[in-house]
Amino acid sequence: MKIIVVVALLLALAGCVSVTKVDSGDRPVGDRLTVNLDGPWNQINAPNLGPAQTWTMEGLPVDQLLLYSGIKNEQAIHAERVGAASGATPKVFAFRSTMQPDEIVTLFEGMLTRDGSRFELVKLEPAPFGGGKGFRFDYTLTRKIDNVQLTGLGYGIVSKGELFAILYQAPKLAFFARQSARVEQLCRSARVKNI
Amino acid sequence: MPARLTRPELSTDEGGLWSLMDRQETQLRRSPFAVRDPQLNEYVQGITCRLAREHCADIRVYVVHTPLFNANMAPNGMMQVWTGLMLRVENEAQLAAVLGHEIGHYLARHSVERMRDVKSRAAFGQFMGLFGVAGAVGQLAVIASLFAYSRDQEREADAIGATLMQQAGYDTAEASKVWGNLLLEIQARPGYDEGRSSPMFATHPSPTERQETLKLLAELNPGGRTDEQTWQAKTAPFMLNWLKDETKRGQHEESVALLTRMIGHAPERAEFRFARGEVYRLRGSGSDADAALADYQSAVKAGNAPAETYRGLGIVYRQRSDAAAARENFQRYLEAAPQAPDSAMIKSYLEELGP
Repeated sequence: MKIIVVVALLLALAGCVSVTKVDSGDRPVGDRLTVNLDGPWNQINAPNLGPAQTWTMEGLPVDQLLLYSGIKNEQAIHAERVGAASGATPKVFAFRSTMQPDEIVTLFEGMLTRDGSRFELVKLEPAPFGGGKGFRFDYTLTRKIDNVQLTGLGYGIVSKGELFAILYQAPKLAFFARQSARVEQLCRSARVKNI
Repeated sequence: MPARLTRPELSTDEGGLWSLMDRQETQLRRSPFAVRDPQLNEYVQGITCRLAREHCADIRVYVVHTPLFNANMAPNGMMQVWTGLMLRVENEAQLAAVLGHEIGHYLARHSVERMRDVKSRAAFGQFMGLFGVAGAVGQLAVIASLFAYSRDQEREADAIGATLMQQAGYDTAEASKVWGNLLLEIQARPGYDEGRSSPMFATHPSPTERQETLKLLAELNPGGRTDEQTWQAKTAPFMLNWLKDETKRGQHEESVALLTRMIGHAPERAEFRFARGEVYRLRGSGSDADAALADYQSAVKAGNAPAETYRGLGIVYRQRSDAAAARENFQRYLEAAPQAPDSAMIKSYLEELGP
């Protein structure tokens, strides 16, 4: 039922958006990243998304899981050119393979706040991810469009010059806590080939 | 100066617009983007009152946390000033120039004229419909673009603003400098196209035209004060956060131009050099690492460098495999900011770098 509601809403907003079910079990994301799901997710397919896969449990814009797999040097971490319509300059946030964890987090901060939302880093620490020595960060995001306070977490690692990362964010009240254990399990299960 | 505006009847189109703005203001008052520091709000409201005089009681100013250059005013007396604008002005007179201009629109009731103009066209449904789809601050940005005043209205607001500045004792020559400074910034942008550069420019004549017009107006009434020291003292507690917002905006070329101007204006301010160093480091192209290092080092030399200056130095030295210098700077960062959110990450760098 939840998927139907999401599909109906999104189709109303944009004719070319679709939602597909991602079944539990081992799921490849791109060429080198695999995650193990303990339950199904919903994947949003739309022309203005990417390069991350966008998944959701509660439906957009309530919560979103972004899965980045094999982002290359100089590749943007977002697709659409936000800001052009309002007269502001479109911003491009691109990954560089020499970036260190602090810089990657700042890159995500820039990407998440390009609509004027407000990001606050809560914690950044080393953490295993994808089978290697990665990093983990926690943040809060105040969404500009509706003032909703979101809680977020992210994991990342750079392997052979490519970025692999998973970010999850959901409203601080109820939704984040409801999904955080499942997201943590998903992140812990992530494996990057030939790391 | 016209008499104080009275609230229009709700049954009129103007009354409806005021009512709509009242609802937006209620949302803005509760918005997490509204800066709630009482001293800063009192200071900005005080400047507004000096300009608006008997209209002061009808105008409410909200400082809004958004790192872009913008200010706008609704017909019911609600004015927004974004923190990106606060970062960019160099003195009280320059802020007064922007506030005076917005008060000019209010006194001349330009938004009502604009609404009636839009209403006469098919776009009215879209005009009103847009109010339902965005949060308070987002909506107000939309509103700003909807009230795209005519050039004549802008010229009238400039003239009123210059008169209000002069009556309040401010140096009216500072008004043209606001636009000159902004022009330097947007010209630094790759693919620069005047007129498509910020929400402010989307609704205003070109900065070049504004700069020239305001210069001519200032020549009619020379003199006045800038109150730069007061401005610096009042904004000092917020400046570092505004600078950090700027460094993360992702508009590296604009930020470098802005911060280079700020350093030129106040070379003794370590936080300006730190901020430009951050922008160079985050851009990371060509010789940016060298430029970042030079800025961080000059920030340290200037004294009172922000703690993050040492983190920046540590990161650059670590990338250059200079373990000793990286270790020293990371240690200084942790000493200065032991509770920093990235302290665990920095400690892991220190372990990796060895004793």
